[in-house]
Amino acid sequence: MRAGSFSHLLSAARQGFELGFEHGAHSVEALLWVAETVEESVYRSGSLLGGPDGLRFVLSNPPLRGGAFSALRLRVNGAAVAPDRFRVRTAGMADWRPAATLSKAAPVEIVAGRPVEFGAAVSLPVGAPAEVRLELECPAIPPLVWVEFRDIVRGA
Amino acid sequence: MATGPGPTPILLRSLSAAVLADGSGDLALRREARGASEEWGGVYGQLVRLTGPWRLRFWDGAREYGLPETRAARSTVGERWRSEHRLGSIVVRQEIAPTHRPAGAIRTVRCSVEGDRPVQLTVHSAFRPYLLPTLVEGIRPISYRAQTSAEGLHLRQRGFGLDVRSTVAPSHLYIDRASWIGGRRDGAIDEFGSDHELVVAPGTESVLRWAIVGGLERDLAGSAGDVGRRLADPEPTFAASEREEAAWYAATPTLRFPDAPALEQGYATARAALRCLYSEPGDSMTGLVAGYPWYSAIWCRDVAWMLPALLWLGDFDWTARSIATVLRFQSRARLPLLGGEPGELPMQISPGPIFFYGTSDTSLYFPDLAERYVRHSGDVATAAAWRPMLRAVIDWGLARTDPATGLLRNGGEAEAISAATASIARVRYGIDSPDTTIWDSTDRRDHAIDVQVLWWAALGSALALDPAGASSRGPAPVRAALERLAATIPTAYDWPEERFLADSIRAGAPVKRLRPNALRAASAGLVDAARARTMAHRAAEDDLSSAWGVRTLSARDPAYRPDAYHDGQVWPIATAWAADAALAAGDAELGVDFLARIAAGYVADAGGANECYRGDRPEPFDSCFLLGLSVGPFVSVLFERLWGLRADVRTGELGVRPCFPAAWRSATLEGLRFGGGQVTLRYSAPTLEIAWSGPARLTVRFAGGTVAVEAGRTASVSLPSPPPAAGTLQ
Repeated sequence: MRAGSFSHLLSAARQGFELGFEHGAHSVEALLWVAETVEESVYRSGSLLGGPDGLRFVLSNPPLRGGAFSALRLRVNGAAVAPDRFRVRTAGMADWRPAATLSKAAPVEIVAGRPVEFGAAVSLPVGAPAEVRLELECPAIPPLVWVEFRDIVRGA
Repeated sequence: MATGPGPTPILLRSLSAAVLADGSGDLALRREARGASEEWGGVYGQLVRLTGPWRLRFWDGAREYGLPETRAARSTVGERWRSEHRLGSIVVRQEIAPTHRPAGAIRTVRCSVEGDRPVQLTVHSAFRPYLLPTLVEGIRPISYRAQTSAEGLHLRQRGFGLDVRSTVAPSHLYIDRASWIGGRRDGAIDEFGSDHELVVAPGTESVLRWAIVGGLERDLAGSAGDVGRRLADPEPTFAASEREEAAWYAATPTLRFPDAPALEQGYATARAALRCLYSEPGDSMTGLVAGYPWYSAIWCRDVAWMLPALLWLGDFDWTARSIATVLRFQSRARLPLLGGEPGELPMQISPGPIFFYGTSDTSLYFPDLAERYVRHSGDVATAAAWRPMLRAVIDWGLARTDPATGLLRNGGEAEAISAATASIARVRYGIDSPDTTIWDSTDRRDHAIDVQVLWWAALGSALALDPAGASSRGPAPVRAALERLAATIPTAYDWPEERFLADSIRAGAPVKRLRPNALRAASAGLVDAARARTMAHRAAEDDLSSAWGVRTLSARDPAYRPDAYHDGQVWPIATAWAADAALAAGDAELGVDFLARIAAGYVADAGGANECYRGDRPEPFDSCFLLGLSVGPFVSVLFERLWGLRADVRTGELGVRPCFPAAWRSATLEGLRFGGGQVTLRYSAPTLEIAWSGPARLTVRFAGGTVAVEAGRTASVSLPSPPPAAGTLQ
């Protein structure tokens, strides 16, 4: 547990109490439904696999909102992965697209409920912890959208 | 990359449900969203997306048919959509309609056969479950619980749920196209399907009807009886709903502009669009959804832009309940996880209740809305009950005010939420959006000009409503802040090279970006009429304006991109601001020209009202096909600026200062609700006739003076020409 996490948990508990006091237990419950659904529905838990080709993982949904993304950036354990060293495809489909080939004219579409798989030429041993950050640029709405998750690398 | 918005959408809605389709026969609607092609068709209930596409297939023993390729006719009657399909010798007549309480849809197919032999028909129904509030627009849950009972199928996703019932029990069930025996199943479900067997005999009609209802699981618990009755005979429900719709329209004013029929049609379209957005989704919430398809949630900023129009339409009750709903979710404490600060009003609310904070402007609209509500309705008691919440809003604003400049600070809200969740969630996601003004995808820190104008209006309204209070520290700091802002805005933002005002102030210096937001200062009367007129004309130049409306950023700005949401696209609300400013400055021709551009958009959108268009061509891009922001301000400008109305039921005074183009010879406004009566205004240049049905004297203020109209009587006055500048924000 990172330093400061206890205070964050206490803060969350206090905020939950405030919410329940002001708006009833239903509000705390309903906000948790949404938070839990979001947490389990973006990064597919356990999909971080390590093998001879490097790392792979799956997003079941876009982080925040769907769209056509013209650029992707990936960091694994804090280290940036060059765009020509990682790729993307609709999960289950054959064709990978190197991240370096994405552009405004040739973006990758990531939409609700259509899983997308990412592969990176990054070597991590099975069982190693990994912290992954993926950044996505959508020309229609410029601010960067990102997702971060921590998981243990499993064998492919 | 997806191009073009897609087919003209079909939107059917009740007060708690919506059905989206493309008119092909199935509930499917593929639309471009943020450059990607996405499916938005299906059934929505209680602001929860219940299903994705819902399709039917028919098998007559020899051949399989779908609805889109067999469609022979279609029509819309009220909120019911009908289609007719020819499947060889079989005729299928379909009707789809939304329902309210329980929220959902009823879909009926009536099958008949041409010929003298009966046909055995299998109808296959398939839909994709969703079950998450639309405020989480980009997510489809991955795990569900499916359970069958004697009443039908029940799908659950945490506290959200949907029930499916049909008049003909399924002969087979499918999950992800694999046969399912029923019972209970937990896990991933991509598609749920069912077969229904019908014998279609010559000379008779075989009827199969489904109901899909849902939203909050707890609200489904007691709904089985209602669903059963509606399945057996939905007509009484539909008829009651149609009577309610007709009564609402009958209570709203009629506008006639013989010299500008496009504006007259635009008003009719905008009024209907506003009605489409009415929402009473549950949990005692009342409001209007922001738009369709992906903003079909109650966004409180968007509600605030629609409510002034509702007041002119005479719906005081809905306005009061909408304001009360938002105030109910005011943050009483610091809630960093939700972005809330004490006194702040929510950005979004949804049944659950679910609510989020974290905008710089939403709270600021509500003191002014409350003040308008009192003037229109005369309901002083309700507004008095709102005073503690409105004082808390003013306290929130005062706490965000920079003591050095007197300007309200915007920005940092989303970053604060991200920081608050950093150590709690295992999976985090977010957006590097440093700012949350109405143009929330672009950085307008630290003191966006429209936020300052809103703050100024909020302070003035708080003092008007609550002269002895207005804040927890009394009226003195409120009055001081108001006066300081009025002095600061026209000077600190001055941009003489552009004959305009700067977009923001950052680190003490004006941010010299040309955006339509600065026109709000002109509308508010914070600059003199001559300067307001100059600003309106500057906005009409072709870097900021196009033939289809006003851009969010000048095309000469280095950051301009025609497909950027808030850095180049054309927004009807920005065009309405330009019309508002021009008419406030007394330039009727320019104001009407801007209004006509919005109205032309409604025609091009086939009765819809797109959120935004590309900056370089009149093509919707990344645009909800119907948005309250695109209709509410348009309606308000027609009443407040074009007709120049200001209502105050408390004093019995109606201000009427029309700003019509010189070439106009006539205009009529019938049935304006005012206190206990209705006002009808008939203008025939230069005479204005006022007919009043109320029980007491009405005083009408116009540019040439005042006239008293006794109860049930009519009066006429001669209006001066040309119309003077109004110069104040209503």
